[in-house]
Amino acid sequence: MAPPVLVIAQKDLRQRIRDRSALVLGVVAPLGIAALMSVAFRGAETIHLTLAVVDLDHGATATGLVGALHSPALRDLVTVVDEPSVGSASTAVHGGHAGAALVIPAGFSQSVTGSRPLALTELTNVNDAIAAQITQAIAQSFVAQVNADRLTVATAAAAGQPPATAAAALVNAHLALPVTTVQRAFGAHQLKIISYYGPAMALFFLLFTISFTSRSFFVDRDQGMIERMLTAPLHPQSVLVGKVLSAFVFGIVSITVIAAVTSFVFGADWGSPAAAGLLSLAMVLAVTATTALVIGVARTQRQAEGISSFVVFGLALLGGNFVFVAATPALMQRLALLTPNGWALRGYTDLATTGGGLSVVVGPVAAILLYTVVVAAVAAVLAPRALSR
Amino acid sequence: MCPWTLATEPLIPDAGPMLDAENLVPDAPVLEVHDLSRSFGERIAVQRISFAVAPGEIYGLLGPNGAGKTTTMKMVCGLLRPDGGTVRVAGHEAGTLSAKALVGYVPQDIALYPDLTARENLRFLGRLFGLGGRLLDERVDEALELTDLGDRAGERLDSYSGGMQRRLNIAAGLLNHPSLLVLDEPTVGVDPQSRHAILEHVQDFGRHGMAVVYTTHYMEEAERVCDRVGIIDRGRLVAEGTRRQLVDRLGELDRIQLGASGDLERLAEACRGLGGVDGAAVSDHQVQLLVHDGRSLLPAVLEAAERSGVPISSVDVVEPDLEAVFLQLTGTALRE
Repeated sequence: MAPPVLVIAQKDLRQRIRDRSALVLGVVAPLGIAALMSVAFRGAETIHLTLAVVDLDHGATATGLVGALHSPALRDLVTVVDEPSVGSASTAVHGGHAGAALVIPAGFSQSVTGSRPLALTELTNVNDAIAAQITQAIAQSFVAQVNADRLTVATAAAAGQPPATAAAALVNAHLALPVTTVQRAFGAHQLKIISYYGPAMALFFLLFTISFTSRSFFVDRDQGMIERMLTAPLHPQSVLVGKVLSAFVFGIVSITVIAAVTSFVFGADWGSPAAAGLLSLAMVLAVTATTALVIGVARTQRQAEGISSFVVFGLALLGGNFVFVAATPALMQRLALLTPNGWALRGYTDLATTGGGLSVVVGPVAAILLYTVVVAAVAAVLAPRALSR
Repeated sequence: MCPWTLATEPLIPDAGPMLDAENLVPDAPVLEVHDLSRSFGERIAVQRISFAVAPGEIYGLLGPNGAGKTTTMKMVCGLLRPDGGTVRVAGHEAGTLSAKALVGYVPQDIALYPDLTARENLRFLGRLFGLGGRLLDERVDEALELTDLGDRAGERLDSYSGGMQRRLNIAAGLLNHPSLLVLDEPTVGVDPQSRHAILEHVQDFGRHGMAVVYTTHYMEEAERVCDRVGIIDRGRLVAEGTRRQLVDRLGELDRIQLGASGDLERLAEACRGLGGVDGAAVSDHQVQLLVHDGRSLLPAVLEAAERSGVPISSVDVVEPDLEAVFLQLTGTALRE
């Protein structure tokens, strides 16, 4: 004979499987959205820029910049095409043969030691914003470096050294700067979009388990089923535990299916299976505890729906399920760490970018379990009251 | 026919001491309710109610809506804790696992899953009572057969008619072969044919030794199926006995039933002033009068009705019945 907890959980799962909307939200929707994002951002994570360069200066600083852009360190990111004139560069950009162009004006090298330095000119295509941003990043960092050099040259000149000698030596010493800039802009580790949004969507729709299960409890109560169950010889808590157990099982199945499909079909990198599994387990426990809390707090089905919607979207927004947290302001990044899904996403991202194992997720798992324990403790006090209301 | 034996041993291994065959005392009450009280805030729902039900006895709890019947039944089933008094089921305190194992509860509203089949519903509830394997299959088949639903057991409940759902609601209360079956208004909203079938089943349960508590606000049902009736009003048990014992309390009183439309309260008030009228109450488009020698008082009643300006559509002088008893005891009609 199965314990009542298992009987109730089994029955709930049977109903959930029959309920197509639950299946859609639990499996189909996260897979669909992750797939859409994968298609939408295909290639975005392996950016390669063809940059046209027009050197109208041919001085020491200009030659140094062109040489740096041709360096092997940038070869994977930038292919440099030398263009003889601004016109030909413009044609290349607008014809799509180059993503952008950088024009080094005549007299640029000389202006480094003068009081009015000349500006680098960028030619960009409005249809290629990423190329424009990369070019701008290269230009700005180079100009910043040149400005620093000008200050040094001025200081050296003031100390009695010949200006031209000092400037040439300093500029040549810093020509690797744009390489660092480009690398920093796009990350040292290649995190595929699907490797972020696969887990993000899986977690977002996992959060919907809170809505389903809490709603199911109140529907059962309104139908008199909770009361009927309580007339059977079982401990009253069995009803609650059975309900949240079904949420736990559904959550595990949902996230496992999504992880498998996004990995094998879309090439998402969830990292070490053991570590990702541990992280997912902790997250499902957190969702289960939150479900129990919503049942404990709400008094009616309508309240349960309202509260769970607030919780689901609040956690998803704060935790970074919709936007890449690392690209948000520092405050948002700190707020994300107040949510279990924020920690989980951090864990999945670390797994994908470091290739590490269990040690990588120790912190996130501990944080999620702390959330779970606190929420479960409050739920343990409040949820049993829902049985007697 | 009722093919089962009553539960006499625990279905749940860890449910504590259970009733076994040796502990059964013939004719000792299966249900003992003593001084039971329950309030909800300031409102007193049940006030010092006492009654007992013997094996094979069908005990009716008759009273209008809101009288305290359902609250009493919930305390009997352990769903509500009493503020005072005790409920014992075959010697076990109500609400304990051992008491619950002996009780079958049929709630007033249909408490089943509409998205599950009849068989799935019964299997789920049977498993909660610790049934499994072949025994569970047998009990489910038996309950379905008893309620004539065997041929549609594989259909979802939401495809059932209201009457079929009611019958399945009852079937679910029989799975554990209860010693005490609690039926809370089981015929509300069902068609006459289904009602007849349900009442037949209830009588069958009693004949086979099951103690049944049957709550209703339908006087005819209480008269038809119950061995004894407790009349409950505003949380108090105002009278108890067999139909004969209760009706005998009326002595020579008759009941006149006036069918009318319009201001029925005005009509009742007009009749209350007549000599020979012991009580008047409004119910279901009718005015009920409790009178001495109904036939000779009839002309005066009709004259009073004419004076009140309320048109009369029908007049019946009814033999003494439980409706009249209720009217005499409470001054109100059962279905106000």
